[in-house]
Amino acid sequence: MPHMIRKICFYPRPQNAVTICVSARVLFNMEKEQQIYEQQGLEDYIKYQVEHETEPFSPGPAFSFVKALEAVNTRLRVLYPKSEELFDVVLMTNNHSEKTRLINTIKHHQLFIEHLCMTGGNSPIGYLKACHTNLYLSADPVKVREALEEGIAAATMFTPEKMTKVSETQLRVAFDGDAVLFSDESERIYKAHGLEKFFEHEKAHENKPLGHGPLKGFLEALGMLQKKFYGKGQRMDCPIRTYLVTARDAGSAGYRALNTLCSWGVEIDEALFLSGSSKGPMLEKIRPHIFFDDQMTHVNGALEMGTVACHVPNVAYNPLERDFKKKPIKRKYI
Amino acid sequence: MVSTIQNTDVKQKDSARAVVVAVSSRAVFGSGAGDGLYGMGVAFPLLQALQRVNERLLEENPAESLLFDVVLITTDSQQQQQSSSIISSTRHYGLEVSRFCFSSEEDFIESLIKNNVQLFLSTDRNEAPQASQKGVLSALLDRHVAPSEQLRVMFCGDAVVQPDTGPMPASRQAAQSFSAQLGEMRRRFGMLDSPLSIVLVTSRGGRESCGGALRTLRSHGLSVDEAYCLAGAPRSPILSVIRPHFLLSDSFSCLED
Repeated sequence: MPHMIRKICFYPRPQNAVTICVSARVLFNMEKEQQIYEQQGLEDYIKYQVEHETEPFSPGPAFSFVKALEAVNTRLRVLYPKSEELFDVVLMTNNHSEKTRLINTIKHHQLFIEHLCMTGGNSPIGYLKACHTNLYLSADPVKVREALEEGIAAATMFTPEKMTKVSETQLRVAFDGDAVLFSDESERIYKAHGLEKFFEHEKAHENKPLGHGPLKGFLEALGMLQKKFYGKGQRMDCPIRTYLVTARDAGSAGYRALNTLCSWGVEIDEALFLSGSSKGPMLEKIRPHIFFDDQMTHVNGALEMGTVACHVPNVAYNPLERDFKKKPIKRKYI
Repeated sequence: MVSTIQNTDVKQKDSARAVVVAVSSRAVFGSGAGDGLYGMGVAFPLLQALQRVNERLLEENPAESLLFDVVLITTDSQQQQQSSSIISSTRHYGLEVSRFCFSSEEDFIESLIKNNVQLFLSTDRNEAPQASQKGVLSALLDRHVAPSEQLRVMFCGDAVVQPDTGPMPASRQAAQSFSAQLGEMRRRFGMLDSPLSIVLVTSRGGRESCGGALRTLRSHGLSVDEAYCLAGAPRSPILSVIRPHFLLSDSFSCLED
């Protein structure tokens, strides 16, 4: 039976929710503390955290993303009061001595985060699996690689120097195509044999869907939630919007991408084919809360223009079997 | 009838300072002593972990007196007849057990109290709650958990946050003093590479419950290494990652999942 918290609304169970595990270092700004740890060592770091226990951290790059997730949840709860198909945000940290400070910070910023995983030096991977994680965001590329290798969608989040203002009411998620939503099969051809061969290959395989990429599942989860709004006549006012921002052009290469999404039964709201030009300006117009790309040049280009960008490294991965078409669980509760 | 036999192979601990942990021999050795020697039971890894904590404590300070003092309790009438096998098996495996207590099922609690036991661990679903009711901090040993080298003690936070009113039940007092001793032991080691880890799990309630439990344990002198606030999520997936040797709670509802 779903569990009531603070008698306001219940909290979804991980197996029924879209679970987003966020590292404390990206949800909040912990740069100063990180510096102390790196330059002065663990003991000084611990001492500093304890001394500043009641001082809340300021927001980090994932903050507006999490706020937008909560805005979606608020609207879902109105439409489907008994459904557990919501975002479940889990705060992850494996640092010592900041537990109370983090709890105080969550309260200060009025975030609706009740699910905490403070692993005290142990690897988060086991916990990510136990939480049925749909997406893991961290500042640590090593942990992100480990998660991807275990079949968990993950990305390394960076902080733009100046963050553009984003919507508080509509969650916007932008994805690169190759090696993010799609497999890296075509990208490898481009890298090994150049642009000409890439185009030839795409044209020859126009109607053949591309393989799955590490973030396909997360896009599907977003689509599942979007349909819940469409089902209640709220397509025009949907608080989730998804974007494909790809270097592919609008010819065969682009067609193949769209065809692939179609074959998966996955909708994307806007597809932007940039034919190789920089993604920064386009992202600046879209203003997504988060952007995923496998190329650091694109990640940096996005960061320069104020977009919160995340790197999805290329790893060989085996996606865990997960069915996103979960049946809503009808529960009566007091 | 209660009888206590000292293990002459093992140096006896300072009774004023040691943390006496009683483990039921049935949990340590399981059943059946072929050739006069028992096989290794469910609690074997636990004893090895307790031993490792002692070794590391003595490494830090050879004169350390705050050590685990392990006592084996035998209530099983079958095993009582095999008392020599229990003692010889203990010696055979080199287990750091300082005393053997033999009693009947009726008066085993008396032997716990007589031996100043601060924590009683058993695999028996009746023994543990019975001892708890008489004021001895008790826990059920988890059969299913894969052992780790590090001693991992888990507190169920839902029982830790206590109302301020009313007299303190004896078992809560026992829990508080055990927490204080455990906290002191934990402080002998640094953050990393500790042979002992304290884990807090709150199943019900949100982050405020977790925060409250952290504060309560801290007021008892215990700092927590790992904390998990489950907000109603099922516990068993997390338990299999945490791998605690045992769970401490006031009530045994902590074990239902």
